[in-house]
Amino acid sequence: MRLSEIEVVSSNSLAGALNVLHDRPGRIKPIAGSTDAIIQLKDGSLQTNELLDISNLRELRYIRRDGSVVRVGALSTYSDIIDSPVLKSSCGMLVDACKTIGSLQIQNRATIGGNLGNASPAGDSIPPLYALDANVKIQSHEHVRLVPIEKFFLGYRKIDLRSDELITEISFEAVEKPRDGTFLKLGLREGHFIALVSLAISAGWAPEGDRFSDVSVALGAVAPIVFRARKCEEYLRNRTLTDEIIWNAGKIASAESTPISDLRASAEYRRTVTPSLLYKAVHKLIDSRRRWEKS
Amino acid sequence: MKERAGLERRFSFRLNGQQVSVSAPPAHTLLEVLREKLHVTGPKEDCGKGECGACTVLMNGKPVLSCLVLISQADEAEIVTSEGFMRDSLPDRVQKAFVENGAVQCGHCTPGLIVSTEALLSRNPNPSVEEIKTALAGNLCRCTGYASIIRAVQQVAHND
Repeated sequence: MRLSEIEVVSSNSLAGALNVLHDRPGRIKPIAGSTDAIIQLKDGSLQTNELLDISNLRELRYIRRDGSVVRVGALSTYSDIIDSPVLKSSCGMLVDACKTIGSLQIQNRATIGGNLGNASPAGDSIPPLYALDANVKIQSHEHVRLVPIEKFFLGYRKIDLRSDELITEISFEAVEKPRDGTFLKLGLREGHFIALVSLAISAGWAPEGDRFSDVSVALGAVAPIVFRARKCEEYLRNRTLTDEIIWNAGKIASAESTPISDLRASAEYRRTVTPSLLYKAVHKLIDSRRRWEKS
Repeated sequence: MKERAGLERRFSFRLNGQQVSVSAPPAHTLLEVLREKLHVTGPKEDCGKGECGACTVLMNGKPVLSCLVLISQADEAEIVTSEGFMRDSLPDRVQKAFVENGAVQCGHCTPGLIVSTEALLSRNPNPSVEEIKTALAGNLCRCTGYASIIRAVQQVAHND
């Protein structure tokens, strides 16, 4: 399909966009920041005669806090997330993850809803959302449903989203002391690279000692979809965080992964560096706790 | 090849301070329309897939890649290309600093770098080297090795 033959319907209201999807289910594909979609249209991996452009739909572009819940409208761009005072104080790891995505030019257009919809195993906003047990709000012209993030991703580039539905919001509990979280990503250069391995960790500190009372570890780019390393989490919980324990936990996480070899790295390399990423992440949390205790 | 005229639509936006109206297929990229229909050739198509930054323009004040924006998404927007920063058809201070510092060799990446630099300096008039590198990370240059580009940006910042 040549780009010149594709019709584009632009919608400025959510209700209008959902009606268009209802009237032409499966035939019309929604696009937002289109930083992935235009490339896919050009290379033929996305084929359609009609696009529904929702990039100017202001209703879905917000970041706010309702009590302990943080709500991010699906059309919030990475720049919106990076510049958000609400997220800086309530979920620094999502901000850190979005800072590593693409260049500034990409961050100014690409949206968090688009990152979920594109469903790349290396999508960088996704591991923090797994570590936070985020919920994805999905709307069609007749219903609204809330899907836990782990249920939303069904397999490699497969998501629980019908052709008449839009992702409208991502929500999660704010991360507040004594909880903490961090995101790390390994790539081949600094800035503007695709993850070889990414890791998000969210944890609550036990009142005494260097122990997590609960901990979530999500890994990206080392399996067909982002996943929670549950055996690693189980091992870390309530254990005193000595270097030996942290390295063991990293090896467990690595054993839970199923990486592939591709042009960016071999599977073996990805497995080898995963424990180092966990080690660095846990030490970041330990250092961060020392800083709060002093202040 | 002949295009199906039925799919052309009229789009209006501000381009370098002037209101323009252009007829184009709605899924053509902003870059194609700027270059082919409006003959504004500052933005270049090098990679066509969002990696090189040669097509960078300002859209509503922010740097974006015009190869990854559809013309229908730019309807009613404010677009500025490297040409839009010229003063009375002469280079502005950023453009002069690029020339004076040898930051232009083959010149292909230059219009995109000018746009990214102008955007950086408008939000941060005195950036550190790290801030310059972050702001320009999306603009690849295969000639200069970046040192002269960073010097050019610093020269503008320090002369303000």
